[in-house]
Amino acid sequence: MEQSAEIKMVARTKRESPSDINRFEEKRFKHRKRLRGLHEDLTSFWFLLPILAIFVVLFAVPLVQTLMFSFTDFNGYSMNMHSVGMANYQQVFSDPSILQGLLFTVIYAVLQTIFVTIIAIPLAVTLNKKFFGRNFARSMFFFFSVPSLAVLGMVWKYIFSPLKSGVVNSVLSVFGIGPLPWLSNSRLAQFCVIFIAVWAQIGWHATLYLAFLQSIPSDLYEQATVDGASSKQQFVHITLPQLVPGIVTSTFLLMSGGLKVYDLPYTLTKGGPGYSTYTVTQSIIQQGIGQSQYGVGSALAVLFTIATAIVVFAQMGVANTISRRFQ
Amino acid sequence: MSSAKVKRNIGIRNETALSRHERRHSVVRSIVVLAITLICAVPLWYIVINTFKTVGDMQTNPLGLPRQWTFANYQNAFENVPIVRSLVNTAIVTVFGVFFQVLVGALAAYGMILRKSFFTTFIGMILMVAFIIPGQSTLIPLYRMESQVGLVNTLEGLIVMYLGGAVFCYFLIVGYMRSLPFELIEAARIDGAGALRIFWKIILPLIRPILTTVIVFQTMGTWNDFMTANVFISSSDLKTIVLQVYNAVGQFTTDWPSFMTITVLALLPVFVFFIFCQKWIVSGLVAGSVKG
Repeated sequence: MEQSAEIKMVARTKRESPSDINRFEEKRFKHRKRLRGLHEDLTSFWFLLPILAIFVVLFAVPLVQTLMFSFTDFNGYSMNMHSVGMANYQQVFSDPSILQGLLFTVIYAVLQTIFVTIIAIPLAVTLNKKFFGRNFARSMFFFFSVPSLAVLGMVWKYIFSPLKSGVVNSVLSVFGIGPLPWLSNSRLAQFCVIFIAVWAQIGWHATLYLAFLQSIPSDLYEQATVDGASSKQQFVHITLPQLVPGIVTSTFLLMSGGLKVYDLPYTLTKGGPGYSTYTVTQSIIQQGIGQSQYGVGSALAVLFTIATAIVVFAQMGVANTISRRFQ
Repeated sequence: MSSAKVKRNIGIRNETALSRHERRHSVVRSIVVLAITLICAVPLWYIVINTFKTVGDMQTNPLGLPRQWTFANYQNAFENVPIVRSLVNTAIVTVFGVFFQVLVGALAAYGMILRKSFFTTFIGMILMVAFIIPGQSTLIPLYRMESQVGLVNTLEGLIVMYLGGAVFCYFLIVGYMRSLPFELIEAARIDGAGALRIFWKIILPLIRPILTTVIVFQTMGTWNDFMTANVFISSSDLKTIVLQVYNAVGQFTTDWPSFMTITVLALLPVFVFFIFCQKWIVSGLVAGSVKG
């Protein structure tokens, strides 16, 4: 007992009267701490090295090159390239095929986001209620989203075949409607692409909403029922606000995925008829790799990156504002 | 005792009244939803049923059952199209691509939570930028880069291209890792375990749920990829299965049943995979979006 009291005393005196030795100790401690910190920095660096390498090789260098090419007349073969200033950008804005591709990409992204959302939410709400065959319906809807859009595009090509033997046309002929030129008419082809995209994605997004619906506490609904709220009121005042994070995620995926669309229109119509279902990605690949106009393709890619970034940030901003309002 | 019984009786009466009402609703719901499901499933039915028909049969009767069941299309598909070869190619690319993506992503996420410094904040920022850059924008320089080192038109080159997915993996995994108690790492460190050992023995087993989700996600993306494979692969013996289906459109312009057969053979492995993984996909969707 006495001994420990003594030690405490000594300790207190030591702490209270800083001697030179103490200062030295402190310094050494700090130094050791910094060394350990450096060591930890190094460990963390080793773990981050692979992704850093991937970033440099697959993202940073190519993006800088794209930016550089966009100001030159580089053709992909001869390194003898010249700066052409903004000419490539001017060409992007004057080439009708590129503009058409841009227009259709935007239409596609916006319409697919709207339609998938307004179909998937009621679908998820229904799939969340009890009924016979619910699991079957859930699995089926989910299955539509499993095959790649590229393969689906090729299959739907047969279904929308302008010939009489095409499925849609043979069904329509029962009602006396003549064979329609589904994929060879601009408007109809655009409709077909968006229709298939919506068909293929509602299941996936309904599954997403379903997962969010299942996390809504059920006592909210019980309370509302006791208070005499109708099911419509419950939907508007409980389900929708609770689904906001789900809507944010789903529309974000739809919008960014929609802007990057390539495979479905390409395998369904190859961008045609004319350029009516041409997409930005298709024109980047066509200009850059197909026609060896690296400059123009790169200028388009730069503009596309900027546009995507703007959309992503705008959506994040809107999503943040909305979620804050509902919290 | 008796009052409890009465209460229970009331409860039962209420329940049956409710459930009668509910049951009527549920029958209507069943009919409506199942009808919509079946209409939506027509294209899938169309693909599968036509693989058992002859060309003439398919043209006159695209949606009905075959008049005469035939398996010649399957025989024909295996004889004329290197389907097995393509499936093997796709499997190689998917397995290696996904493995490295997830490994790099997980390592990076671990390095990120190990220490918070100026350096890690900086890395976090550049990865955010990488996440926004669309693959299309870097496609042309990457094509040139790979052709300079002879990686265009090789499976290795394709795998390298898919490594970019590591950034997506990192974002999903780091969100999950941050929710783990950091004391676990501290405790292991005090016990003298090295950083790599902690990663293998403690972190990896703990993040298994998110790893499964990420693997399923990336497998789907890589297996189904069309754009990268279409740009980078040109020889027929290196084609992935999606490219093979695309090729078959041109090869069987009039022989629709054969085309459908190749489609079925291409889709079958994905469907089997997904029947097994459905559970994880759904739970992962929520985990990923709630945290990320």
